[in-house]
Amino acid sequence: MNYGNLLEKMHNLQDTYGFISETEIDKLAVEFEVPRAKVYGVIRFYSMFYTEPTGKYIIRVCDSLSCHINQSDQVVTTIKNYLDIDDGETTPEKKFTLEIVECLGYCGEGPVMMVNDEVYTHVNSAMALDILKNCV
Amino acid sequence: MEETLYLKGEQIKDVNQYDFPGLKKALNIGQENIIAEIKKSGLKGRGGAGFPTGLKWDLARQQDSDQKYMICNGDEGEPGTFKDRYLMEERPLKVLEGIIIGAYASGASEGYVYIRGEYTDAIKIFNKVIEEAEEAGVLGENILDSSFSFNLKLIKGAGAYVCGDETSLINSIEGKRGSSRIKPPYPVAKGLYDKPTVVNNVETLTAAAEIINQGADSYTALGTENSRGTKLICLSGDVNEPGLYEVAFGQTTLKKIIDELGQGVKDNREMKFVIPGGISTALLEKENLDISYTYEDIEEAGSSLGSGAIIVVADGHNLVDLMLNVSRFFMDETCGTCFPCREGNRQVYHMLKETADNGGFSSEQLEIIEDIGDTIHLAARCGLGQTSLNFIKSVFANYKDELMEKGVNRC
Amino acid sequence: MLNVKIDGQKLEVEEGTTILEAAKKAHIKIPTLCYEEGLSIYGGCRLCVVEVEGQRLLQPACATEVEDGMAVETHSPKVREVRKNLFELIIASHDISCELNCLTCSRSDSCELREIAEDIGVNEIRLDPLNKGYKEDMSSYSIVREPNKCITCGRCIRKCEEVQGIGIFTMANRGPSTIVTTFEDKGMGNVECTNCGQCITACPTGALHEVYHDEGVWNALHDDSKHVVVQTAPAVRVAISEPFGDKPGTIATGQMVAALKRLGFDKVFDTNFTADLTIMEEGTELIERINEGGTLPLFTSCSPGWIKFIEHFYPEYLEHVSSCKSPQQMFGAIAKTYYAERNNIPREDMVVVSVMPCTAKKFEAKRAEMNGDVDYVLTTRELARMIKAAGIDLLNLEEEDYDDLLGVSSGAANIFGATGGVMEAALRTAYELITGKELENIDITAVRGVTGIKEAEVDINGLTVRVAVAHGLGNARKLMERIKEGREYHFVEFMACPGGCIGGGGQPISASLSSAEIIDKRIKSIYEIDSSKKMRKSHENPYIQKLYEEYLEKPGSHKAHELLHTHYLARGV
Repeated sequence: MNYGNLLEKMHNLQDTYGFISETEIDKLAVEFEVPRAKVYGVIRFYSMFYTEPTGKYIIRVCDSLSCHINQSDQVVTTIKNYLDIDDGETTPEKKFTLEIVECLGYCGEGPVMMVNDEVYTHVNSAMALDILKNCV
Repeated sequence: MEETLYLKGEQIKDVNQYDFPGLKKALNIGQENIIAEIKKSGLKGRGGAGFPTGLKWDLARQQDSDQKYMICNGDEGEPGTFKDRYLMEERPLKVLEGIIIGAYASGASEGYVYIRGEYTDAIKIFNKVIEEAEEAGVLGENILDSSFSFNLKLIKGAGAYVCGDETSLINSIEGKRGSSRIKPPYPVAKGLYDKPTVVNNVETLTAAAEIINQGADSYTALGTENSRGTKLICLSGDVNEPGLYEVAFGQTTLKKIIDELGQGVKDNREMKFVIPGGISTALLEKENLDISYTYEDIEEAGSSLGSGAIIVVADGHNLVDLMLNVSRFFMDETCGTCFPCREGNRQVYHMLKETADNGGFSSEQLEIIEDIGDTIHLAARCGLGQTSLNFIKSVFANYKDELMEKGVNRC
Repeated sequence: MLNVKIDGQKLEVEEGTTILEAAKKAHIKIPTLCYEEGLSIYGGCRLCVVEVEGQRLLQPACATEVEDGMAVETHSPKVREVRKNLFELIIASHDISCELNCLTCSRSDSCELREIAEDIGVNEIRLDPLNKGYKEDMSSYSIVREPNKCITCGRCIRKCEEVQGIGIFTMANRGPSTIVTTFEDKGMGNVECTNCGQCITACPTGALHEVYHDEGVWNALHDDSKHVVVQTAPAVRVAISEPFGDKPGTIATGQMVAALKRLGFDKVFDTNFTADLTIMEEGTELIERINEGGTLPLFTSCSPGWIKFIEHFYPEYLEHVSSCKSPQQMFGAIAKTYYAERNNIPREDMVVVSVMPCTAKKFEAKRAEMNGDVDYVLTTRELARMIKAAGIDLLNLEEEDYDDLLGVSSGAANIFGATGGVMEAALRTAYELITGKELENIDITAVRGVTGIKEAEVDINGLTVRVAVAHGLGNARKLMERIKEGREYHFVEFMACPGGCIGGGGQPISASLSSAEIIDKRIKSIYEIDSSKKMRKSHENPYIQKLYEEYLEKPGSHKAHELLHTHYLARGV
């Protein structure tokens, strides 16, 4: 069965609503003629898709080896403490979602973090706090 | 030391400022000559597995099918690797040229460039490039007034390292979970929508474009017999000048790459070891770095050149912490389909975690980790799984005494 | 033909044969776990890996096709070592603990992991079990999922999707968090599950099992104030002795009845009786619809898995479904009225237990429309467990007969247990009721057998009656699509489970035999019981005639409608 642009549709829904709701999954299932469980299973495979609402800002901090060697774990701790949430969680007012992610491909410039589509390199704890404070 | 620039170079982003010399030549000389040229160049896949590119294209070309696909794998994700991002951001037209040449040579009329979702800049740039190329007649019907037509679509990945495996990537394009497929059949026979499909890495395709442009001789003049041409190196970790470098194979040694291109270990610290090909490869101790940078020499030293990510690790890091970091990566990123990979990586992670908290590995733990390593290597279903414990096994092989030191035995 | 050498034995196999199949031909057993005959190849568990000469890595036997000249080692030291390590990993993920272990497991006697352990000679487990900490899924009236026991082999997913054509399960997440779950984790009771229980029979472990009713039945049996009657479905008698070590398909009707009596049931009746009643009602409905231009084709309504299927997926066709309750529910209704009244037992003291090859029957009994007529539904497996728990030596019991009244039945009733059986039984009666003539060839073989969809034409008084039979919901869907496209029938039988009720989700499970082999043997026995009976047509059952005379008047009467007919819900997805 050809449901090639399913991924693209999921991206669009994710970008538009910040998550992919039950209703939208039902619609995708009808459109692509697959069981809705299957669509759900696909969504839940990919870490960039969410089935629960996410924050306005998705903070992705790389903690893979090259960044880790350059103390990305400290950045992670700082952000966790500041936002008072853990990996994969969203702040109660739905402003931030934190994801400790694998390599973002800036290993020569680590530690690295992303705020939505924006990449920040050579991040340290102080910088991370500044970045978060600038999210309004 | 000077880099050897074959793939790196000035930014080329404007479709109208670039005249696609390689593509023009390719359309001129025809499928068989392109393949002959690529075969002659000795180009091997740069994604990590190192399959001969010319042969892959030829196998696809020989398939009898109403539809074939060309896929450019831009799902770069192995920690330490960022060369494909560089090429897609800085040299997207070279990449595009390689894709179209590859498609033409293997007889594909449709193609996809799959870029990992986190590469937001590369996605923006490539989307624009595709649009402009369509307008300029470089993509679409009758490319550059030839009889060849080819459509290219960009697919955004969604955060799954395993999709860098070609069969997982195909599943992902099909809108499925990115689990690996059972091979055989290989994609060249039965790939996307069960049609013959070529999947090539970004760097491979860029090199292919350049090889057609400059001729295979320009490529074979570089490198060694088994490692032709150049390689993009992603240097990171505890090194003074991390970054992307290009060297000809055999031109230099691992040690010189670190000491001269990378300006040595950061902050004058002592080196502990180097991971020569990304975290799916075994470490090499500092004493073993005086080896020529080629596929064969690194393999002989007991590791692999992998994707070209060289990670330098200085003294003073906690070995268990580093292993945990790598282990967590593979544990979280396995697709979850095959049991040895899913359960093996989970168990190893747990064992490391337990020891990180309690100190000292027991000989039983070492034995179990070794057994799991062998089992994963022999029985896992895809490259991700098979190589997932290479680094950890090598840490134990090299630093066993150090790791057992605290000697707290598990009951 | 291809030449292959397996463990030194030379053999010839056809192109496309897998190493696993070739090894079987050479009488070599390669352990498998995620592999199940009839399902797509998953290649996940890797237990079947073998050494192929010239290959560096081990290859999965289930997924690797034989090539000419191939030499394979299926049990080399390397292979055995890998399998042992793999097995340790699997067991660690199976979450065995004090609370959750083999002793309390639904599959203690049919565990595939135990069988594999034996096959590969496991002698130590060095890894501690992982505590995965998932919650049980208790949302369904029919089926329980214990995700901590799940080893994510995906057989339930494939069975549900590929054989049953539904797909309520999926893998979610990845890495170690990979789980089998339902849409949005809602649980089986809150999604489009038909309760057929085929997932249970696919599961190699005890991660899926029926919602147990045996405790309730024990309590009722021990309660002197209750009058407890039991009914047994036709498919149970050809499977009940399997958990006691008998071969599949062994007919153990008399022993089963004896065991039920020893368990303490006040009366042991037969669902076959109400199967005959169903034929009277449904046959009448069919004749009426044909004669009066009613909605055709008429669909059977005995299989509650099928009913839930059509309610979810083809609600626009609900008018086609016979309004007849299933035999189980007709029994409940008759037992709690006619039988209770005749014997002066107050309804509230009546407890109706049924023994079914089916998990969907548990859901059916709980439907509001069913009025609580059936109190407990035991699967064949649960009954076997109760018999064992009572220390009854089933195999060596003297055969006993069902109690009178609701215990007498025709051969036609018994074939309800196999695919095509309801159709055949209905045709036997319809033919004679319409024509008034005796049916010469009573065996209507065109509707027998395990072909997924069967079609036949029967001439009744000059009218060519076109019928079709589908078993397994995947086939049901195919047949529904045919009907949607305009294929015309008068009467269609649908059964949710492959093979019909004898292949039901509540039947005994074998760790070693394939379901196709078992289904075959049980079906043979079902027809053997039919052909050994003198009375082989439902309308000839004297107790059915008596029931109508004394209580229901005639088929399709007002009273019959009140007690024996029902309606359905358009559920959608």
